[in-house]
Amino acid sequence: MTSVSLPAVGSAKPPAFRAGRILLYVVLTVGALLMIVPFVWMALTAFKSNGEIAKFSWLPSELRWRNFVEAMQTAPFLRYFRNSLFIAVGETAFTLAVCTTAGYALAKLPIRGGKTLLNYFIVLLMVPFQIILVPLFLIVKSIPLFGGNNILGQGGIGWLNSWWGLIIPLGAAPLFTFLARQFYVSLPDQLAQAARVDGLGEFGIFWRIMTPLVKPALITIAVFQIEAAWNGFLWPLMITTSDEMRPLQLGLAIFSQNPAEIQWPYLMAGTALATLPMIVLFVFAQKRFVEGMANVGIKG
Amino acid sequence: MSTTLERPALTSAGKVASSKGDRTLVRGQVRTGWALLTPALLHSGIFIVVPVIAVVVLSLTDYSFGDSFDWVGFTNYTDLFRDPNFLASLWHTVLYAIVVIPISMAISLAVAIGLNQRIRGLGFFRTAFYVPTVTATVAVATIWLWIYNPGSGLANGFLSLFGFAPNQWLADPGTALPSLMLVGIWQGLGTKIIIYLAALQSVSRDLVESAQLDGAGRWQRFANVTWPAIGPVQFFVLITSIVGTFQVFDLVYVMTQGGPGSSTRVLVMDIYQNAFQNLKLGYASAETVIMMIVIAIFIAAGRRLQKADTND
Repeated sequence: MTSVSLPAVGSAKPPAFRAGRILLYVVLTVGALLMIVPFVWMALTAFKSNGEIAKFSWLPSELRWRNFVEAMQTAPFLRYFRNSLFIAVGETAFTLAVCTTAGYALAKLPIRGGKTLLNYFIVLLMVPFQIILVPLFLIVKSIPLFGGNNILGQGGIGWLNSWWGLIIPLGAAPLFTFLARQFYVSLPDQLAQAARVDGLGEFGIFWRIMTPLVKPALITIAVFQIEAAWNGFLWPLMITTSDEMRPLQLGLAIFSQNPAEIQWPYLMAGTALATLPMIVLFVFAQKRFVEGMANVGIKG
Repeated sequence: MSTTLERPALTSAGKVASSKGDRTLVRGQVRTGWALLTPALLHSGIFIVVPVIAVVVLSLTDYSFGDSFDWVGFTNYTDLFRDPNFLASLWHTVLYAIVVIPISMAISLAVAIGLNQRIRGLGFFRTAFYVPTVTATVAVATIWLWIYNPGSGLANGFLSLFGFAPNQWLADPGTALPSLMLVGIWQGLGTKIIIYLAALQSVSRDLVESAQLDGAGRWQRFANVTWPAIGPVQFFVLITSIVGTFQVFDLVYVMTQGGPGSSTRVLVMDIYQNAFQNLKLGYASAETVIMMIVIAIFIAAGRRLQKADTND
């Protein structure tokens, strides 16, 4: 948009154009501030004393770091944090294992009906979780031979209130199979051919030749799954009954449920704990987030 | 890596393998393929396909966590349309979608167009707009709960700078739903901006420049080149937004629990309460089926609009 190569347009415009530029920056900056201010407000509140929040003010009179420690004593935020971490790692490992294999098979192996299967996953990726909420609960409750269930899935609680139930049903979403497939498709077939000539088995080709080449894609998938797992709420709300198993988001929601007793500085300290890892992840993996979104949005 | 190969390519299923060795090779590939696919097929079958079918079946029963249940036909459905809670939640969800989707799409597109100029600090802006999106909705809701606090929250504090009287926000049935909508719009911008931005960057520069040489103004270039080029992406954003707004739950659960009264009761909230607090699973399933139908209607309407738009 510089006026170098287009004299006809450029010569008449500069002053107005400059004003437009400034306006653009002003608008974008105000917009960006509107996005960030709530988080700043959260952080500032987390350092205030309980007395200080009775009246509206921006800055805390002193930075009470001990709010974070006291918040941990009021609610087991640290345990919630650890549970969330465990769920995120578990779901991501499970997703990577199931979705890369399926994605590779759909992209590179000559399966009869491969195209139909691909469409099957594409259709499934559009099924909202909320739709299957009720039956999913029943299925997880009736997993045979778990949680006191018999072989027919009766009598016990199955995967309810267990790591299995928290991790497995929400892992391996069709979206990630589809994404993985998109990334494998772009690899040249000659690579696999060469490895075959060298006598490498089919699984070896997948694992040792092709998968290392899509490492950036695996990171993209992992970043997305970590975010989804970390931010999940409704499912843990439904299937956990003990505080031992609760992830951070659920802990936060429970802590904020009693309006009369909310201690805002503590709640904001807990919220900061829940928020910060994802912001850090985003800042480091910005490129992956953008890539993943673009991939889903445009090719999908 | 890419050595010269005299062999025929063996990658497509339709290709007839020429020699016996090739045929066993293909068979090996097929076998590995199924082995690699099986976990994903099992997982999606058990945890998605079966539940989708089950929800339709359950909706015709009075199942309530017990051992037995009866077929009740369409009774659940007829009951639903006499249930004030359901009707309120359906209406609020539709209203939420109708208000939130157009506003958030328009703002996102505008911001994306702004970010698509040659500007400094793109990384900063992109981060700022995307951070609410990567933050858990529960955390976002908790922060806004505190912002909307009538006593010493940021919203009233900010308004008081301009001499406005404090609002009750979430405690007032008249402002509770709009207050939630504002948070929904605010949080959802990031994803849409990034998708739009990616689409805008793939719009052919040659086309834009040739339009410019032909004397097309800024607005004309947008209407005739950019807008048609991002059509498919618009549709994608629309559909994901529709599905997304119908799923609103975390926000409502943390901020209002559906209140005051039932002024912010939404569909998933009602489904959740019917299923897991009132233990009426059949009834909640019927509600879910209606939600699916409404989403389908919205998507069909969206497609209509899209088609009308491209036919211009």
